[in-house]
Amino acid sequence: MSAPQKITGPTGPSTSNLITAEELLGPLKQAAEGVKKKPGLMKSTVGYMELIKKYVERIVTAKDEGKWVATHGTQQPLEIYEAMGVRGLFIEFWGVISDVVKLESVPEALNISASTGTPGEVCSFFRNMDGLMHAGKWPRTDFLLYATSSCDNVKAYHTLGRRYGIPSFGMERPYLPYTPKALEHWKNEHKRLIAFLEEKTGKKLDYDRLKETVRLSYRLTELTLEIDKLMAHVPCPMSAECFGGVLVAIRLLPGTQDAVDYLTALRDELQERIDNGIGAVKDERFRVLWSCFTPFWDPTLMGFMQQKYGAVSVGEVLANWRGEAKWLLDPDDPLGNLAYRTQLAPGNCQYASSQDWASNVVDQARRLKADGAIFNNNWGCKQASGLGRLVGDELIHHCKVPSVTLNVDVIDSTFVSRAEIESQLDSFFEMLEGSKAYQERRAMA
Amino acid sequence: MNAPLKALNEMQRLTSPFPESVAVKEWKASGGQVIGWFNPYVPEEIIHAAGMLPFEVTGDNEPVQMQAAEAYIYSNSCSKIRTCWQLQLDGKYGFLDGLVSSSMCDQDKRLYSLFEYYNKLPYMDMVYAPRKRDEEAVQLYLSDLQDFRDRFSLYQWHRFSDAKIAKSIEVYNRGRELMHELYELRKRDRPPVTGAEALEVSKAAVRMPRERFNELMEQLLAEIQSTGREIKKAKRLLVIGSDLHNANQMAALESLDAVVVVDEMDIGIRRAWGQVDTQLPPMEALARYYVLGRPVDKHNWVSDGRLEFIGELVEQYKVDGVVSQDVRFCTYNGWDKFDVKKQMQERGIPLLQIDLEYGHPAGAQMKIRVEAFLEMLQSAA
Repeated sequence: MSAPQKITGPTGPSTSNLITAEELLGPLKQAAEGVKKKPGLMKSTVGYMELIKKYVERIVTAKDEGKWVATHGTQQPLEIYEAMGVRGLFIEFWGVISDVVKLESVPEALNISASTGTPGEVCSFFRNMDGLMHAGKWPRTDFLLYATSSCDNVKAYHTLGRRYGIPSFGMERPYLPYTPKALEHWKNEHKRLIAFLEEKTGKKLDYDRLKETVRLSYRLTELTLEIDKLMAHVPCPMSAECFGGVLVAIRLLPGTQDAVDYLTALRDELQERIDNGIGAVKDERFRVLWSCFTPFWDPTLMGFMQQKYGAVSVGEVLANWRGEAKWLLDPDDPLGNLAYRTQLAPGNCQYASSQDWASNVVDQARRLKADGAIFNNNWGCKQASGLGRLVGDELIHHCKVPSVTLNVDVIDSTFVSRAEIESQLDSFFEMLEGSKAYQERRAMA
Repeated sequence: MNAPLKALNEMQRLTSPFPESVAVKEWKASGGQVIGWFNPYVPEEIIHAAGMLPFEVTGDNEPVQMQAAEAYIYSNSCSKIRTCWQLQLDGKYGFLDGLVSSSMCDQDKRLYSLFEYYNKLPYMDMVYAPRKRDEEAVQLYLSDLQDFRDRFSLYQWHRFSDAKIAKSIEVYNRGRELMHELYELRKRDRPPVTGAEALEVSKAAVRMPRERFNELMEQLLAEIQSTGREIKKAKRLLVIGSDLHNANQMAALESLDAVVVVDEMDIGIRRAWGQVDTQLPPMEALARYYVLGRPVDKHNWVSDGRLEFIGELVEQYKVDGVVSQDVRFCTYNGWDKFDVKKQMQERGIPLLQIDLEYGHPAGAQMKIRVEAFLEMLQSAA
């Protein structure tokens, strides 16, 4: 990465709260230890914190261990990275974990981004990266890797790569993904990615190793589906402190034994809680589905909702596998399998039609017996801003599940006040409780 | 004072009122179907070859109150998309028989989905818009175009031939040639048309039968030739950024002592650029042209070519200053802003960046900024 521009000084934006990868590690270690002693939490909270800590540690220690770091977007074949000694750094996660450890870091990074002329209307995951890169606080990155399949903001990878001297590679994903021609094209894009990585690392991909990472990744999918079934239990056994664990495992660490071990332990604990009649809260009053994404900007909101309203989060669209998700079509064709997986993967409905997104949400609402849905309209997300109404209409039409829209920024905690969010939630749950559909559903439960 | 251009007047008459115009009504009255399209990765030639009228779904010169649309598309989305959906809700696009879009932009996709869900038209389709400009991208796009042609043929119960597509390519190539000629004339020290007039010409191209448009373009160029029309303004501007269909916005810039001599919009110069190769099989020729044959646009991942193109326009058109008009919430323009500014600084070209809402008239604030910009250009001269 080229040297950052000097931005401190009497007129430049503040950089004192920006958090680096190394600075994240200390608090994460403390948190992992702290939750061991905290009563009332799910046991898997420890594993969850350990998994996050390990993820950050992998990035921090990559260079010393002779590995590479790729900052990347959604729908990447991380199994290939893993097989080639490339450690992924998921851009979205970086904003989220910064909020978990130090809420002040993201707003400061966004200020720096704004000072370079980047408008505040584009996605803050990317603006956060922009600001941190500009200040020289983004983790050391060897490549920027991305695909069409998330959103228009992926243009930023090449733009920022050019600005900071980081090589980048983008994969073009067809819009209609399941035609033979589209699948073939997408598989070829995986080959081009491998060629790019082989050129940059000087290392050949070991296909036997790839088969192994693909096998582990498939196991992760199976575990996710098992957990999904357990989440449908009333009362829901998953408590807020572990809710993000599945997403972290499947979107950050596919192809790793660590992720498989974590989801195995989580699944077992959820089953144990069901067997013992333990739910997230004593009195589960509402089952909530996040129909856009979870409240990344406020790590305490889900726990608060459990405590105040008895509202338990039962699902979110970005962690939802479609159908049975049988993507391991041919164990001897790891690339073909991966091409299929990255088309099918949770979150891919972002890139599809609004109806596709809505059908995923409706499917979840039915399976997970949701009472209400919360749609987070992220200020910088042009995918979301055009589909909230349609998703809400479909939920009502098919399942009589009402939605509330919260206007937020996905990681900027200063965008909207907590009081305003609480006020909206007060009204929403009051409305929900009084609705005929809710009362009928509860009577049948 | 220059006399109004008769051919342009006729274009405006035929394309008024917007959007269900004289031309649209005539077309429908003769039993023709109208297929709307959203963005520049939908080849009009294919719709034309099917014997239908391609019509670009946009806003126009009048601002639209978008409150109803904002119940469907929240206000943190591009106002062009909200405008189009509002026009649909107001019944203005009731004449469309179909709609074709591409995956060029997240917001276009959402608009398409709204049509599909709340107001499904007899024919609806979507093609991929490649972000790269290489052979793989051409092949991917070609494959999507072929699928589109197959589905469109099914809709009609009639497969339109390669020969028909080749014929349509000729018609559209002629249109591009004529529009390019107009752009060439604008390189003159005293261009024959204003930017606002040129924008009206570009809009007419996508709102009326192309054969008729081509005839009127020939008349327009002849008229310019015979009248020796000249626009006498002190400063020459290049407008870049978002597609703006409100010619009044452009006219507001030109109400000062400046003329827009060229633009970098999809609605503008990109529509007048290059030719589809008539030596290739027609579908392949279209794919190559739409992916590789036009200047790099803001949606391409690698913007270097776009920045170069802007720089070349500045030189070729002897531009004094660049005005970047960016519709708020456009992700692509957002990520190009830094580099556009940097490039203009490096080239020593004055740049005015204006954030605005699509379709809104130029307000006092914008006028003040443009005035200040022109004063700055004057003092720098």
